[in-house]
Amino acid sequence: MLPSEKIAIAAHLHVLLRRKTGRVTDTEWMASNADYAAEIVRFARASAEKDGHTDLGEWAAKLEATLAPTLPPATIAEKFIGVASTALPNDANQHRYIRGIR
Amino acid sequence: MHRIGPKWLLACALGFSLAAWGQTPTHPGLVAQDTLNAADTAWMMTSTALVLLMTLPGIALFYGGMVRRKNVLNTMASIVAVAALVSLLWFAVGYSIAFTPGNPWLGDGSRLWFSGLNYLKEAGKVAVSHVAPNVPESVYAMFQLTFAIITAALIVGALVERMRFSAMLWFTGMWSIVVYAPVAHWVWEPGGWLATMGVLDFAGGAVVHINAGVSGLVCAYVLGPRKGYGKEPFKPYNLGFTMAGAGLLWVGWFGFNAGSAVAADGRAGLAMAVTHIAASAGAIAWMLGEWIVRKRPSLLGLSSGLVAGLVAITPAAGFVTPASALLIGAVAGLACYWGATELKRLLNADDSLDVFGVHGIGGIVGALMTGLLANRTISGVQGDVGIQLLGVVAVLLYSATMSALLLWVTKVIVGLRVDDASEDAGLDISQHREQMGT
Repeated sequence: MLPSEKIAIAAHLHVLLRRKTGRVTDTEWMASNADYAAEIVRFARASAEKDGHTDLGEWAAKLEATLAPTLPPATIAEKFIGVASTALPNDANQHRYIRGIR
Repeated sequence: MHRIGPKWLLACALGFSLAAWGQTPTHPGLVAQDTLNAADTAWMMTSTALVLLMTLPGIALFYGGMVRRKNVLNTMASIVAVAALVSLLWFAVGYSIAFTPGNPWLGDGSRLWFSGLNYLKEAGKVAVSHVAPNVPESVYAMFQLTFAIITAALIVGALVERMRFSAMLWFTGMWSIVVYAPVAHWVWEPGGWLATMGVLDFAGGAVVHINAGVSGLVCAYVLGPRKGYGKEPFKPYNLGFTMAGAGLLWVGWFGFNAGSAVAADGRAGLAMAVTHIAASAGAIAWMLGEWIVRKRPSLLGLSSGLVAGLVAITPAAGFVTPASALLIGAVAGLACYWGATELKRLLNADDSLDVFGVHGIGGIVGALMTGLLANRTISGVQGDVGIQLLGVVAVLLYSATMSALLLWVTKVIVGLRVDDASEDAGLDISQHREQMGT
């Protein structure tokens, strides 16, 4: 997902939370910090359940969906599969910038 | 940096007073305005602007292009902040420590807050430095200010992507006063202890490049590696920025080296020529090295190689012939390629943008080759590799020791590194709440 799309979702949620709960949030931080975003998702869901704001729940789900793929695919492969992107066609470039850029 | 020769040393030893004898001055003072040289003054003002251009935006672009996207703005902000902070510190303290006679180790306090840099229209007097008696001292102090700025800014390349912005400011600010100004005094003030021993450093091979390179290496060790270093690829954001920065460095270096002649004369012209030749040789040598070893020449390699050549010719610019410059640039291009790759692995330090590999190694190569190739017919002085080595070792040891101490002080005051979450998010967001556009 593009950063601009994340920002758009965060901005929408920001407006809803401000209108329906009075809570003020930081849109850019929500789009870039996973911990903060997770806390906002938790709060939005709790408010939705408590006060019946279904749209809050929907937008919280959209924001939550942006959290999982925060790392680029190559990094996910290295971190979770333990494979250093060996299958990628630009394998040489992947290794090019490990332990230095020159 | 200056035309330090037997006459200077003799004048220093005898302690002649500018006012009393009207000869070679040994300390800053007032002279009649008509003793200034207009061409020299104009060239020094131009050189000052060129050297500032090397940092703003030269280094900012050069470094900003090499870091990851999430840290570009932090890197650029660091350069701008260092430029402003060091300027104020140089004005307040640094210039007086570096460029007043004092003793062989430190200058005196006569130029604190630029006091005494007078221009007295009615009396027809103007202050000049004994190191540059043909230009106003205000111009000379500003020229030297741009050197203080770029030296501190170079260190930023070693600590990017994980150091707190506040810690970076504390460290570079203290470093500028405690490390840079004294070393400049040792080497460039005619009474400095390395200058009197005969160490040759025309424009700052030791004062600027070895100093910044070694300090960068110490920063890298003390800070520790960035998260994921050695495991994940750290893709540079935009090597086009880096090339643009390298181009600005190349052009600005004419002010750096030819300006260090402190005159618009034949020696400045020669310094300009050898600067260009060495930069070209450095770029070609690095490119060929990379082409042979990696089978591909790279834009980053060319940009790094030209900087390597420029770094190495810096101490030699006013002392060597064009043919020697070709040799110095070529050796530096290969040596710095090794420094930024193989040596970097041997040292096992995450010197993020290879400040030591390029500036440290390039500065050492240049300093030693100056001892080997300095030509008496150009400057009237003969190089001595042993004396040059002494200068290298002295600057290296002092810079390393004091940098480690200042990092410790900084750690006590504000801490050194950002936390893990901030490093993951990137320093643009975590330190500045700013982000690159899409």
